[in-house]
Amino acid sequence: MKHLTTTLVTALALTAVPLATRAEDFPRRTIELIFPWGPGNAMAGSQLLADAMADELGVSMPVISTPGAAGTKAFMIAMNKPADGYTILDGYVAPLVLQPVLGNADWTYDDFIPLHAASSNAFAIGTSAENDRWADFEEMMAYCAEHPGELRYTTGSRNNLPHMVIAKALQSYDCVAQNIPYTANAEGMSDLKNGVLDFGFINVGEFQQNGDNYAIKLVLSELPASAEAFGNAPSIADLDIDLGLSGLAPLGWNWWLVHKDTPPERVEVLRQAMKAATANPEVRAKAAALGFAFLDWDWDQYDEVVGPVAGQLKAMGDALKWEEEELSKL
Amino acid sequence: MLAQSLIQGLDQFFTPLTLILTTLGVIFGLVVGALPGLGPLMGIVLMLPFAVDMPPVSAMGFLIAIGVGGSCGGSISAILLRIPGTPLAAATLFDGYPMAQKGRAADAIGIAISASALGGLFGGLVLILTAPVLADFASNFAPPEYAMLALTGLISIAVVSDGSLLKGLMTGALGLLIATIGTDEFSTGFRFAFHYEMLNGFHIVAIVVGIFAVSEMAQQVQAGNLNEKPTVKPVRPGFRSVLLTLRHWKNLLRSSTIGAAFGALPGVGGTISTFASYAVAKAMSKPEEGYGKGAEGGVVATESANNATVGGAMVPTLALGIPGEAASAVLIGAMLILGFFPGPALFADQPEIAGGIFLVYLFSNVSLLVVGIVMTPVFVWVLRLKKSYLVPVVLLLCAIGTFALQSSVFDLWVMMGFGVVGILLRAGGYPLAPLVIGVILGPLLENNLRRSLLISREGYWIFLDRPVSAILVAANVLLIASAIFWTIRLRKAQRARRAESPD
Repeated sequence: MKHLTTTLVTALALTAVPLATRAEDFPRRTIELIFPWGPGNAMAGSQLLADAMADELGVSMPVISTPGAAGTKAFMIAMNKPADGYTILDGYVAPLVLQPVLGNADWTYDDFIPLHAASSNAFAIGTSAENDRWADFEEMMAYCAEHPGELRYTTGSRNNLPHMVIAKALQSYDCVAQNIPYTANAEGMSDLKNGVLDFGFINVGEFQQNGDNYAIKLVLSELPASAEAFGNAPSIADLDIDLGLSGLAPLGWNWWLVHKDTPPERVEVLRQAMKAATANPEVRAKAAALGFAFLDWDWDQYDEVVGPVAGQLKAMGDALKWEEEELSKL
Repeated sequence: MLAQSLIQGLDQFFTPLTLILTTLGVIFGLVVGALPGLGPLMGIVLMLPFAVDMPPVSAMGFLIAIGVGGSCGGSISAILLRIPGTPLAAATLFDGYPMAQKGRAADAIGIAISASALGGLFGGLVLILTAPVLADFASNFAPPEYAMLALTGLISIAVVSDGSLLKGLMTGALGLLIATIGTDEFSTGFRFAFHYEMLNGFHIVAIVVGIFAVSEMAQQVQAGNLNEKPTVKPVRPGFRSVLLTLRHWKNLLRSSTIGAAFGALPGVGGTISTFASYAVAKAMSKPEEGYGKGAEGGVVATESANNATVGGAMVPTLALGIPGEAASAVLIGAMLILGFFPGPALFADQPEIAGGIFLVYLFSNVSLLVVGIVMTPVFVWVLRLKKSYLVPVVLLLCAIGTFALQSSVFDLWVMMGFGVVGILLRAGGYPLAPLVIGVILGPLLENNLRRSLLISREGYWIFLDRPVSAILVAANVLLIASAIFWTIRLRKAQRARRAESPD
């Protein structure tokens, strides 16, 4: 008995020794992907890519959901982890570019090393399929302008990219509506479907899975492919007025990033694995079924793609402040 | 919805990892159940940090199986040592121990395992048939209903938990307070987050490991007898126990029904259901059956009820995301870490996970029957384990598991801190379960309350405008009023007794 206990205790104690101290090559243990939102379709998309990358690397890659503070919490947690390549950050545009623009975060996109662009998914404004109060988006906006503060809408969490883009669109029509935040998109979609909310943001994945539940009023992208993904619903390109939502800024996209002090040889291993994972046709097909399109931008296009977006987002960030001020006046 | 869930769940269930982990979970559950002072909740808590890195259905199979095995394991020490391994088995010793004294220890343990497995399967049928229906009904629930449901869960647990109503409410409120630490979803600001690792609040696993496991080990050390080694004779039951159990099929069905029904009620739990089913079985028995003197029916009643309770308790857990007791709260914590939200959306959006959980629950009970009977000699041998070996191993598992969650030393400090909180609460006679339920239900309650008020155009009237929400408001008012009424009545009775006593 004594011998058995000694063996058990020794074995358990050995597992507690940090594996990194024994590892010579990389990676030797689990790599965590810090995901800035709650569980849902977007997390499923990240898990899909993480699994494919894990197959390339030979270690598991769990996606750790750390929602809160418009995604900045995940960034702060990831930045405080060791710069050893075992923590990857799912860098969505809102916490990466928007929150610093709004003064809610003290980093810039230059503080991270890109591995590869991950995916994009356009989104739209929609109502419940049973809601027949408005024939189109402009009619809904006219009603909203006449009844300030009456309509309720959701963008999932608050101060994220969809919130900012929708606030910009509403501001253009002088529509003041109350944003209702949700921990998980599914909860918000349930309330939208049940008529508790008047309208909300709907991503491609949700539309492709449960399209019958919604009436799409406006696709928030000028790309024809995005309107097509929403069953050729009207898009901002069809409107008579310019909402100031052109370019890459209003698109939901993300880059996978690591801490800027990460050893270059480890960054290279991760880059190669991610590139191979995003190029895998089987994985791309599965992502498409979820409503995601993998982006082919490699790490050397990071500055070129992300840099100009900051300026475009500034105007949209102002719309959030406008919404808050207008609601406080009611 | 039911057939779809089960069919889609088959893929998740029929994997070697899930089948092996579920069986291992049953074995581990029987071990922690048999050891006095541990039990199913402790088993789930100890293995939680290891489970959260597994595929969802495998992890849930492992944890649920620990609950199933642990609910039965307590009967082994109750029957052989007259010490119930868990409070769930307290009623089993009424007839289990006398059976052992008459030389029928093997039959008593065999009947306990068979009745547990069959009762558990009955609870599984209740779960499978009712959870999807309840989830479908709840799919129309909005923030007001969820806020009121969370309140019902919290009040029920506080009212029914051990100790006084006031103490239950106080630890529940402490749980709610702890749940506020981190990021406020509505203002996107930080609350009580003094350290970057607190931006998401404390890790739920570090909290439950500290509050339950660390404080329990401290209590074990304080109780002494660290080197005591009970003398137990080897016992080897056979599969004829199943036939012995089936001879009491009416009792089995009745007790399982009581267990499943009590399990589905928030706060009631297994211990009350075992005593209730024992009382009913005894009242309906013939005098010659000799309840209290070694009646097989007594063991059948208590053991079938306590395992059926597990299935019943999972109905509100899976269908509504509202935990009925502490173990369910920990299972909800595990589900959230594994990336899925229990509630109607689980059945609508991830039927394969819901179906997989149904199947692992059923399989864990089948596994309990086989593994339990075949491996009884091992579980009996485990009873001879000295506390001086057990306590350090448990504490080591707590530390390794909690650290492994996020490779965070901060989590270890959180675990130790909550260990101290647990010790203090136990010393003051405060129940621990409401605290964990408060931590789990806190965000659900706060977010839905604030969301309801944002959605409402007429303030608090939104809670009465919606029929289901209004019914829940009334239920909550009744619960509080009845709790106050019974507390006053109890105090009056105590005062009257004191006045009547000679000194």
